[in-house]
Amino acid sequence: MPFFQWVNDALTWGTLFRMLLGGIIVLLFLLGVVAYMLYFERKIIGWMQLRIGPNRVGPLGLFQSIADVLKLLAKEDIVPAQADRPLFLIAPIIAFVPSFVVIAAIPWTASHPFTADISVALLYYLALSSITILGIMLGGWASNNKYSLLGGMRSAAQMISYEIPLGMSLLGVILMAGSLNIVDIVEAQRRFMWFIIPQFLGFCVFIVAATAELNRTPFDLPEAESELVAGYHTEYSGFRFAFYMLAEYLYVFAISCLGAALFFGGWSGPLLPGWLWFAIKVSAFIFFFFWLRATMPRIRVDQLMTFSWKVLLPLALVNIVLTSVIKYWVNAG
Amino acid sequence: MSNPFAGWVWNGGTIAFFLISLVVVFAAVMLLQFRKVMYMALSIGLVFLGMAGLYILLNADFLAFAQILIYAGAITILMLFAVMLTRHDEVEDPPLRDPKKWLTALGCLALGAAMLWTIRNTPWSSPPAQPPWPVQKNVAAIAETLFTGYAVPFELVSVLLTVALVGAVILARKEG
Repeated sequence: MPFFQWVNDALTWGTLFRMLLGGIIVLLFLLGVVAYMLYFERKIIGWMQLRIGPNRVGPLGLFQSIADVLKLLAKEDIVPAQADRPLFLIAPIIAFVPSFVVIAAIPWTASHPFTADISVALLYYLALSSITILGIMLGGWASNNKYSLLGGMRSAAQMISYEIPLGMSLLGVILMAGSLNIVDIVEAQRRFMWFIIPQFLGFCVFIVAATAELNRTPFDLPEAESELVAGYHTEYSGFRFAFYMLAEYLYVFAISCLGAALFFGGWSGPLLPGWLWFAIKVSAFIFFFFWLRATMPRIRVDQLMTFSWKVLLPLALVNIVLTSVIKYWVNAG
Repeated sequence: MSNPFAGWVWNGGTIAFFLISLVVVFAAVMLLQFRKVMYMALSIGLVFLGMAGLYILLNADFLAFAQILIYAGAITILMLFAVMLTRHDEVEDPPLRDPKKWLTALGCLALGAAMLWTIRNTPWSSPPAQPPWPVQKNVAAIAETLFTGYAVPFELVSVLLTVALVGAVILARKEG
């Protein structure tokens, strides 16, 4: 797209303006998405637990998240006296920036003005999302608090271990589509079929590893309230805490987009416009994560690593071998 | 001496190159300046990230993101883990005041000047206008090279890594 041809164009004010405008539109859109994801999470979990959920601020409580965000922004920015001040201040930013940057690879519709046409988009997503772990770990360390440190270490260990099955589960899709570019993968599904059917094993590994990667129930050990107060962000308040929360929910959104694009044909579908199909598929994924949180208990810490290395990883490897053998066999015969 | 910037096109790529180079050099100097081990690990992460940016400007997308995944992500986190599990508030002693340092500085300056002189006086062949293959075909080209021309060295490297992994497990295993 001409929008992203800035590397080889002369850098005029017009180009700069278009770049900034694109970034700001996507940022505002994502802030809106996260605010209403929070609202629906509270509503849905309330509904599942026979409660009402937020219903005071605005009609049906629709302005609740906005009020919460305003409260967080207006709060005092407290830095503990014994904390490592510079690292404590930048750690939430290190965690947040990659979560926003990975959105650039998501194809919203067939004609996608806000999607960077990266040839290695999947690698881009995996690589940048690993930088967030750094921010979480540093936040835990810089707080100088044993709960924060333990939470940060648990979080880092968990995210690193589950990133491997996550990447491996995507390899099956990459093999079938013959490309790392998400746009090409969606196009390949339009010609063939949704990859959820031939890649069902890969999809199962993907959804479990994604839940763990997001630190969400049943894998929310890094924030286990009964053991660790609040995990790595125990000492954070105000807008720095908001940054961590924003990063977390942006990743829920991003991985839902990834799942919808890789396994459910992205924007393709009959009758309705592409962006609406994509929104429906992504919302279904997000609902699934909320549903899991409302129904599943937390996994035990000693089962966590074993499960990743001894169950998920072998399954993902079996999936890769099966996919490549079948693909070779189909192509040869 | 001709204008060093003759032939430069001031587009987004050039400006990005100078900004990223500044960040890399700054992070590398800070790595030497910091006394806390934690800060050093972080600034080396920033150096790795900047290098990835330079690879992108050279149209090597795959290499750039592999660099971020392995160096800026995995290796930096590994270093942080190692620091945290040992002496996580380790601070290096302040450097000694030594007259020999001035000689070292002079030597470094001379080396820099010699390299700059050599680079400026070498008749470089002008690069081709287009990269040998389009950016979109980068991954396929790497795979073709790796699995046809260099299949045996590639497999040997993976065997080496497996051996290292098994060795680490054996060393870390408790006695008895």
